[in-house]
Amino acid sequence: MVQYKRFSVGVMLMMTCLLAVADSNILVRDAWVREAPPGAAVLAAYFTLENTGTKEDKLVAVRGPDFAKIEIHATEIRDGVARMIALDALPISPHALVKLAPGGYHLMLHHPRRELAAGMSVKLELRFDSGAQLTVVAPVRRAESGAAHHH
Amino acid sequence: MVTRKALISATLVAALGVILVLGYLAGRTFREPARAISIAGMTVLEPASPLPEFRLHDQNNQVFDLTRLQGKWSFVFFGYTHCPDICPTTLVVMRDVQKIAGGREQGIQYIFVSVDPDRDNAATLGRYLPYFHPEFIGATGGHGELMRLTRALGAYYESGEARGGSYEVHHSAAIFLIDPEARLRALFAGPHDAARLAQGLQRLKGG
Repeated sequence: MVQYKRFSVGVMLMMTCLLAVADSNILVRDAWVREAPPGAAVLAAYFTLENTGTKEDKLVAVRGPDFAKIEIHATEIRDGVARMIALDALPISPHALVKLAPGGYHLMLHHPRRELAAGMSVKLELRFDSGAQLTVVAPVRRAESGAAHHH
Repeated sequence: MVTRKALISATLVAALGVILVLGYLAGRTFREPARAISIAGMTVLEPASPLPEFRLHDQNNQVFDLTRLQGKWSFVFFGYTHCPDICPTTLVVMRDVQKIAGGREQGIQYIFVSVDPDRDNAATLGRYLPYFHPEFIGATGGHGELMRLTRALGAYYESGEARGGSYEVHHSAAIFLIDPEARLRALFAGPHDAARLAQGLQRLKGG
């Protein structure tokens, strides 16, 4: 009986994990990492998050094997002064898009473990408040001016 | 008696004249200096504001002072290399301005002043700037010298609190345009647009 119970708890846990993945209403699109000058200690990653569900979710943490630390940041310009704000969570409202883009929200990628250049790609593991986890492969790209991004 | 009356009225007229002239001059001095005209994100200083002496060093360890601003137009941006988003974004815009307006041959230079001298030095800037353009100048120095320059330009910077072994530096988002007489001529508030920056320079160079 005890064993059966344990087994069913295990199954239930597994189911929850599967559900968490299957139930994720978050889509990640157009992920990319801005190529940085050689030797740069920090880089930025950008992408678009889409919440296709009916409940708010939040991006709460990001990890990646290529970096010592990854933080969720916002660049904020107030009274002509640019500040980087570290965010504990980035909320995504139901049926909404949240864009991480140059000059706004971005991931700050600390201390790359290898020299990253355009043409390479990095793995980013995104964790959400709902428990959902998504792994994204983001290509490293050389940033062109604003207008050239959309090509 | 008549002469005395005439003297009194002459004195009164003269006094009134002096008051009028003084009033006019006072009004002028209140209105005249540092008139700023803003058009399409560009604020033009009228008259241009002369900069004080300052002493920084560039990525080749050469002195970067007021004389380096004389005889050419300079676009100046304050930032730091541990800045993954807004600084490279602005430097890419400056690279595009360079493409449109020209560089050294056209008497235009592009300067990135690091306001994080504790982490950025000549070597750091020497690795960082050529990525954006080989002609770009990187400069930094002690906080006293940096303050002298930022204060004169109306720019701002401040190191944020240390967090997990690192810190951010808050800094002006503007791009400053210095004229060939080393005076602040205009500033661009951003968000920056290369075509607008190049047009602004063209307008000021022309007139």
